[in-house]
Amino acid sequence: MTKLAAPRLNTESSVQPPPAPSARSRGIWLHVVLVVGLLVMVVPFVWMVLGSFKTTAELRQLPPTWIPENPTPENYRELFTRLDFPRYFFNSTVVAVAITLGNIVIGSMTGYALAKLDFWGKRALFLLVLGTLLVPGVVLFLPQFVLVSNLGLVNTHLGLIITTFAAPLGVFLMRQFMLSIPDDLIQAARVDGAGEYRIFWNVVMPLCGPALATLGILTFLGAWNAFLWPLVVATTEELYTLPVALALFAIGQQETNFGLLMAGSLVVMLPVLIIFVLLQRYFTAGIAMTGIK
Amino acid sequence: MTQRAAVATEGATAARLPDGAGRQRRGAKQNLIGWSFALPFLVLFAVFVAGPILASLGMSFTDMRIADIRNPFAVDIVGFENYAALFQDERFLRAAANTAYFVVVAMPLTMAAGLAIALGLNQAIVKFRTVFRVGFYLPVVASVVAISVVWRLILNEETGLINGILGVFGIDGPGWLTTPELAMPSIIAMTVWRNLGYQMVIFLAGLQAIPLMLYEAADIDGANRWAKFRYVTLPLLRPTLLFSAVITLIGYLQFFEEPFVMTEGGPLDATLSVSMYVINQFGFGNYGYAASISYVLFLAIAVLTFIVFRFLRPQD
Amino acid sequence: MMSTWRRALMPLAVVIVLVAACGRSDDGDGEAGETATTQAAAVEEGPATGTISVWAMGTEGDNLGVLGDAFKADNPDATVEATAVPWDAAHDRISTALAGQETPDSSLIGTTWMGEFASTGGLDPTPENIDPSAFFEGAWNTGVVDGVSYGIPWYVETRLLYYRTDLAEQAGFDAPPANWEELKQLAQGMAEQGGAEHAISLQPGGTGAWQTFMPFVWQAGGDILDESGNFTLDSEATTAALDYYRSYFDEGLSPESLEVGALEQGFADGTIGMFISGPWMMGIVTDAGAEEGTWDVALLPEGEASRTSFVGGGDMAVFTDAANRETAWKFVEFVSRPETQLLWYETVSDLPSVEAAWDDPALADDERLARFGEQLQDAKSPPAIATWEQIADVIDTQLEQAILGGVTSADAVAAMQQEATTIGTGQ
Repeated sequence: MTKLAAPRLNTESSVQPPPAPSARSRGIWLHVVLVVGLLVMVVPFVWMVLGSFKTTAELRQLPPTWIPENPTPENYRELFTRLDFPRYFFNSTVVAVAITLGNIVIGSMTGYALAKLDFWGKRALFLLVLGTLLVPGVVLFLPQFVLVSNLGLVNTHLGLIITTFAAPLGVFLMRQFMLSIPDDLIQAARVDGAGEYRIFWNVVMPLCGPALATLGILTFLGAWNAFLWPLVVATTEELYTLPVALALFAIGQQETNFGLLMAGSLVVMLPVLIIFVLLQRYFTAGIAMTGIK
Repeated sequence: MTQRAAVATEGATAARLPDGAGRQRRGAKQNLIGWSFALPFLVLFAVFVAGPILASLGMSFTDMRIADIRNPFAVDIVGFENYAALFQDERFLRAAANTAYFVVVAMPLTMAAGLAIALGLNQAIVKFRTVFRVGFYLPVVASVVAISVVWRLILNEETGLINGILGVFGIDGPGWLTTPELAMPSIIAMTVWRNLGYQMVIFLAGLQAIPLMLYEAADIDGANRWAKFRYVTLPLLRPTLLFSAVITLIGYLQFFEEPFVMTEGGPLDATLSVSMYVINQFGFGNYGYAASISYVLFLAIAVLTFIVFRFLRPQD
Repeated sequence: MMSTWRRALMPLAVVIVLVAACGRSDDGDGEAGETATTQAAAVEEGPATGTISVWAMGTEGDNLGVLGDAFKADNPDATVEATAVPWDAAHDRISTALAGQETPDSSLIGTTWMGEFASTGGLDPTPENIDPSAFFEGAWNTGVVDGVSYGIPWYVETRLLYYRTDLAEQAGFDAPPANWEELKQLAQGMAEQGGAEHAISLQPGGTGAWQTFMPFVWQAGGDILDESGNFTLDSEATTAALDYYRSYFDEGLSPESLEVGALEQGFADGTIGMFISGPWMMGIVTDAGAEEGTWDVALLPEGEASRTSFVGGGDMAVFTDAANRETAWKFVEFVSRPETQLLWYETVSDLPSVEAAWDDPALADDERLARFGEQLQDAKSPPAIATWEQIADVIDTQLEQAILGGVTSADAVAAMQQEATTIGTGQ
């Protein structure tokens, strides 16, 4: 996976040069500090993994145990038998992938227009995008639902997707990134007689790998973990996404099934984690070029 | 817009005329191209975002409550009454003060922690960089519900990990989430933990964009590590700091997830945030009032973001 | 198509509200009062037909199919399509469904949400062929809004006093405490002779604390609303109840905070002597290791006026926008039959809301369950007003202010009354 085409910014080359031998002990100390920091970050997850193999009774036990006394895969078994797991996984994937693609395509197109094209109303459009970034999302929830229901999209995949299909964040990120693409490159393509759409697809987009990775990860993460919107739009179980289904089975009126919740959360986390590991080099490089404007 | 499009097609063929006469017509073609790129976004945005924003803004000037939900037109317009009531509402003021406290403490902490880790990981001697990066990023990926389960156990007064460690040193640890004065610091600690991975990635990116030769030049001048950080890294990191500050500010001013799952705003409203108050009012069905709080928050975010921009933007 | 688009513009049109002259029509609803319940005309006799969609939360939703199958056995031409909804945020799901007119035919609705949802006009009044007297009175009243019934109690729960019999014996009690005085003596005894770290665990505030606190107000003779629908939260009875309630904290008999899971564990270990909770805790304390013979449940102790407890659970309602209203009500009626209630108890252990079902040996022969049945005869719900969730939050907050914030009882109840009056009943 490290053999993927090198991102524009080579992450290794700009790292500070190897230190003089006298700095050896400093290197050890640095590693000690980083490992301690890493432990602080990871220990809760280790606890979660261990907890997912405990029985409900053991999870309630005080003082809590670290290592499961009677390790049991029961929580995972329950997760995959009581929940129609393939269906919820399918729904989550369809929704998150569609939203990610939508934001990548539409965000890039609009971002390109804002960064590299000159047209009437451009400044107003950019301010609109920026302004919307600042509106607290909760307030849009009810009007958006009424809208979606009046369009007849309640309980459809499209209804789950449409409201976040073209979010302002994507436009903003892509604009910032595309500002760093040299104008000469685009100008040269124009001189060669390429149309604007061809320039966009064949010249600009291939340069956007890191930014697309960044936007892709952020959007996918948001869509994958979304809870409230899928909860209200999916009115039958056929359309539930993983977080909704997990809440359904793990959180009751009076009690919470912590074991199932932990096992489920770990399983839900896994795809996003894999995507991050695969794309993390591009992710960093992408942020480097969107943030530094 | 359609009118503009018609004009634009007309001028399409004359686009590459170099003389002054063509400028007007080239503008028309560029308008067409520009808007054609922005159109898909604009349509979806107008319908699914701008519409609901206007509707909710309108809602904030009415007394809309849950009883009106099936017939939203039968509400009374109350003008700025909701907004006026807000500043008499002690719980809102408390929530605003809590939010300010949270942002002022958590924002620098998160940024500093993210930067420190990025600086550490950016040293050439560090091994297993990917492991560290993924490890520090892990909390960003997890759902907040899962995280809350674990953190509640870690902060548990009787049996939690933290008080267990304090116990080794003979300290009787307090109830981190149940003591009003400690609840917010505990929430802040958890938030910093949860978000520093994202900041780390941003700063790593910023650090990697700094040309190596600047450090080499500093070495030749005999600069020590602190001098290099102060006079090379920090100034060149300014745009990254701005980006990180803006992202953190916008996110933190709207913070609610951590108290929502950990403390429900308590004890004694010590962790009640503005966004959480919006959610509460929304849940009570006071839609008009909830909307007005959101727009006050929006205004605060806009003003503060503007100030940060002014303060941190690169000096040319 | 045309109308779809017109309706699609509705949220936008809220803006127009700002310009256009409009306002709510003032049809002057009657005052809330102790009048007889009004019901709608009976649904027609005969077997049900067609498909109905029903929402239910959590375990109830997961197992609703059992009732659907039983219903189909009686009505071969009818189908119940059950959808399970997470408890978490179920409230938002129902309010948005009402707003978008996307409701199912029928749904499980939290007992304390009835006033709110009925105020939208989205709930259908209960038809006459369902007999109110079959249900526990307190439970039936959860669905009565402004004198009109909008649904039936599907299942119930009520709160009892859980206590450690061994610690009680050490404190000199062979029987559970009968009144407030004895409860206090028992608590003191459990702390002194029994050595319990916390004699009793009462909720000091926070979400849902009113469910533990309000029974004390009722027991003292107080209430939330008077007969003409005005708040009476600053009554002497409320003050007396708060004084009594907080004394457990002031005397160090009840902990000011308790971590999740610490209650059942402490009770099982004997470090917590008593607490007040619902039937679900019986299984939890047993799981936590509480041995048989060391604990029992008892009716709540009597105050000045009564030994009233809180009744909660879930109601079943039919929506005004239901596509198949007749069948939906037939299903609701079916659910309220004693034999269906017993089937439901056997399926998910939800307690029957219908009194006749409690004669069955499954319930009557279980001593602890029977005590819940007994307490249900004297159990109350808060008034089904549109603003209840908000009033409950006021009570929770002020209770916490009194117990943890050091506010005097008189000031706390005055604040409750003042804030509740500002919020109103949503009339």
